[in-house]
Amino acid sequence: MPHPASQSILSHAQRQASASAAVDGLYLHVPFCSHKCHYCDFYSLVEQPGQDRYRLFLDALVRELELLAGQYDNRPRTLFVGGGTPTLLPPDIWHKLLAALTTQGWLSRVEEFTVEANPETVTDELAQVLASGGVNRVSLGAQSFDLTLLKQLERWHDPRKVEQAMNYFRGVGISNINLDLIFAIPTQTLDQLDADLDAVLALEPTHLSSYNLTYEPNTALTAKLKLGRVNRIEQDLERTMYERVIDRLAAAGFEHYEISNWCKPGKSCAHNLIYWQSQNWLAAGPSACGHIDGYRWKIAPRLGDYLEKSPHPDRLDQEHLTGRAQLGEQLMMRIRLLQGVPLDMLPPDADVQSMIARGWLECTNTHLRLTREGLMFADTVAAALL
Amino acid sequence: MQIRNFCIIAHIDHGKSTLADRLLQRTGAVSDREARAQTLDDMDLERERGITIKASAVTVTYTPPGDTSSSGGEQYMLNFIDTPGHVDFHYEVSRALTACEGAVLVVDAAQGVEAQTVANAYLAIDAGLEIIPVINKIDLPGARPEDVALEVESILGLPADGCIFCSAKTGAGIDELLQAICTRLPGPSSGGQKTQALIFDSEYNDYRGVIVYFRLKGGQLQVGDKIRTMGTGRTYNVTELGKFTPKPTPNKQPMSAGEVGYLVASIKTLDDVHIGDTITRDIDPADAPLPGYKEPQHMVFCDFYPAGDTQYDHLRDAIDRLHLNDASFTYEPTSSDALGFGFRCGFLGMLHIEIIQERLERESNVNIVQTAPTVTYEVALKGDVDEVIQIHNPADLPDPSRIREVREPIVDMEIITPTESIGDLMRLCEGRRGRYKKQTFLSATRQILEYELPLAEIIYDFYDKLKSITRGYGTMDYTFRGFRADKLVKMDILVNGDRVDALSVIVHRDKAEYRGRALLQRLKKEIDRHMFEIPLQCAVGGKVIARETIKAMRKNVTAKCYGGDVSRKRKLLEKQKEGKKRMKRVGTVDIPQEAFMSVLDPGEI
Ligand SMILES: Nc1nc2c(ncn2[C@@H]2O[C@H](COP(=O)(O)OP(=O)(O)OP(=O)(O)O)[C@@H](O)[C@H]2O)c(=O)[nH]1
Ligand code: SF4
Ligand SMILES: [Mg+2]
Repeated sequence: MPHPASQSILSHAQRQASASAAVDGLYLHVPFCSHKCHYCDFYSLVEQPGQDRYRLFLDALVRELELLAGQYDNRPRTLFVGGGTPTLLPPDIWHKLLAALTTQGWLSRVEEFTVEANPETVTDELAQVLASGGVNRVSLGAQSFDLTLLKQLERWHDPRKVEQAMNYFRGVGISNINLDLIFAIPTQTLDQLDADLDAVLALEPTHLSSYNLTYEPNTALTAKLKLGRVNRIEQDLERTMYERVIDRLAAAGFEHYEISNWCKPGKSCAHNLIYWQSQNWLAAGPSACGHIDGYRWKIAPRLGDYLEKSPHPDRLDQEHLTGRAQLGEQLMMRIRLLQGVPLDMLPPDADVQSMIARGWLECTNTHLRLTREGLMFADTVAAALL
Repeated sequence: MQIRNFCIIAHIDHGKSTLADRLLQRTGAVSDREARAQTLDDMDLERERGITIKASAVTVTYTPPGDTSSSGGEQYMLNFIDTPGHVDFHYEVSRALTACEGAVLVVDAAQGVEAQTVANAYLAIDAGLEIIPVINKIDLPGARPEDVALEVESILGLPADGCIFCSAKTGAGIDELLQAICTRLPGPSSGGQKTQALIFDSEYNDYRGVIVYFRLKGGQLQVGDKIRTMGTGRTYNVTELGKFTPKPTPNKQPMSAGEVGYLVASIKTLDDVHIGDTITRDIDPADAPLPGYKEPQHMVFCDFYPAGDTQYDHLRDAIDRLHLNDASFTYEPTSSDALGFGFRCGFLGMLHIEIIQERLERESNVNIVQTAPTVTYEVALKGDVDEVIQIHNPADLPDPSRIREVREPIVDMEIITPTESIGDLMRLCEGRRGRYKKQTFLSATRQILEYELPLAEIIYDFYDKLKSITRGYGTMDYTFRGFRADKLVKMDILVNGDRVDALSVIVHRDKAEYRGRALLQRLKKEIDRHMFEIPLQCAVGGKVIARETIKAMRKNVTAKCYGGDVSRKRKLLEKQKEGKKRMKRVGTVDIPQEAFMSVLDPGEI
């Protein structure tokens, strides 16, 4: 393992330093879904009717935020509420959360405030509550418009609800909308991908996240793969599909700015850019991860513990990278952006020549970036930059 | 004081070690406070896997309750040996038997007589031991002790009414067993005047050197004696003498005929003492050694090569060190065109390989690539003189033009199975080139099935297949029978045009195509895609009989990477960069450990 010496748990002094650091973003994790999709490895629970802990969670989250606001810089530029399914929380709970965020000062400088939404959970009323609370961007999990493919993913929603949800949001003035799309789903053909792309483009989102389906460990889908109940799409077809997405979205006027992300001009996701540029963000809610100046942590994911220990949830997987190791990690994330890595960030020991010769990397005046071919081997490139 | 020497034998998992716990507890050797499960299984691996690998000898004293019985009041010294049940460690049982006059044969009250019950009972009967059958685990809901006692009688000829019912878990029946040990087992005979002690085991200790386990058959031994090992003719001075109670406990007094104990005599390596050798006194030696044992024959061989960042020297040190402690395997340097320098090691079976590899990796922190196990072949060469060579590696097979015939080891296989699985088992044995011998009824529902089978056909997955066919109820045992000639050829594997000698395998000619295709399918799955296309070929005598292609890698990119994925992703890429452990680069292709094992896949569904 490289650079072991530079990796250690945060000392008291370092904690003090990070407390005074400028914070760029805030991420909140809402750990509830109405059903667990088979490919999903996010931390989320399906609450039984009657025992739902939405209110308990809200109280704990608000308390955690209050504490954070006292300890850290509480004026981020971006705010992102993800999950789980944040829009599963009823409007009155949302109302309280938004009110608390305002009172605690978190919204004072926010430019981008995104909420993740599942199409079937969005109502006119909820859209209004969100809009009046300052939300100005939503990310909708569409994934596919083909019922057989949604079934492969065990993702339960009616594809027609996507358009309906978008209309609700547009009706209350939230027009900056991302759609998530998954491709390389078992049994999927190129024609089916084209149909999904047609459907997505017809809805005219401002932003698109389009992912090659990932078989995450510890998911139902991966278990089915191992048991031979589903077949993975051939690697060659996966690549063809990815290239099809790239070409068609370019033709539709989208800018490809990260491996799996596209936007209309000026509409890139400021919050996610914080991740890829290794800036600072705070995190609240079970399983949420934060990062301040090389120090990373994860809030312990179990909701029961989270409620019990509130407002002091355990921090897991803490690590603090410095020096070359920290730089390596920054490069690994930054190279995912199509703009690339600023040339002055590159350490002298980085072996980029061979990858340029291979046609995977190229230099502009200011940046080193992935070529079209390099996009296909981005992990190999990232590993070499570590 | 009276002496009783016995060993505890059984089929695997029938409760020998647990029974030993109860004996230690009931005789006060281990207090209730000290008691833990399977006290005698003291190796980490034994405790983790819950099996006995090495036999352990202990001495306890016992006074039967005084009033009623014929033996009442008198003290007994009980020397007993807990033995392993797994077939790979059969030789440990054989050795233990020669140190004893009696055997406690444990049979699980729910499972009944199994293959190793039969094999071990016959070993004990052949060695002339008195046997006490014990039906254990009578506390289990499925226990049927009376039926099992009848099985013992009908299969082994040991009277059902002599069986003792007990539970090593609850302690029921243990007093009765102790009583029977005292009254039913014979004491040792006093032997001759001259010192004769049989070495039945040894172990190595970093501080004291070799510790020799012996059974004194005649004469006496004491600290200060100058001893001679009769086989090797070496002499040593005894510096410590004692018994395991179960902690090693030195004896001030001389030990006399009939007793079991250990001695320390500044013996440096395990290779200096031969199990089965006889110890006598240098002055006034015995006229002849005791009958020893046959060394266990290593029938399964495989190579260990350093992998990942492990260097050859590091691996050599690790193997040297382990061999000091455990001489159950053999090793010699070898080299492969594909894999470089490594070691060819001889083993007693697949579990044995697994255990040695695990001990090496864990005790010395080395990474090993293991080639597929192969059996020993005998090759009769053409020519005027009858020259026969043994090979332990398919790559060593001489050119076909020089070969008269190739012979492979054959075993006598005994399977105990529920009757309804007989048909499927016979199909399995026929598919593995077995020759049917006979079928015997054990009871209305169980049978013994006997086959002659090539060892090469059973080392890999035969046992797993047997278990799945019989839904876990079948058991097996085998003994080496001899070598037999067959149409055996060497099949070579070419990866990216290069012959990989470590993947060569000896197969039956009629099965070559089929095996070859299955093998390439497996290899294709095990070897990751590279940046270029990799042709795989399978050849017999220079003729390609099957081919496959591993396509070039077309992409390597993680689609999702956000704020919560950073650390995990970095660690993954670091690993990818570091090169996978247990990988070998052959030419420009990285071959993982699993690929080397794929040559064993018989290609059945
Ligand atoms: N219920 C019950 N379980 C028992 C009894 N005796 C042993 N066991 C269990 O059976 C399993 C095997 O016991 P061991 O004593 O390790 O068996 P063994 O014969 O020494 O096994 P090997 O050394 O691997 O051949 C363990 O899980 C024991 O707890 C018994 O009398 N009753
Ligand atoms: S809705 Fe989203 S977070 Fe919930 S299970 Fe499905 S993919 Fe996972
Ligand atoms: Mg045992």
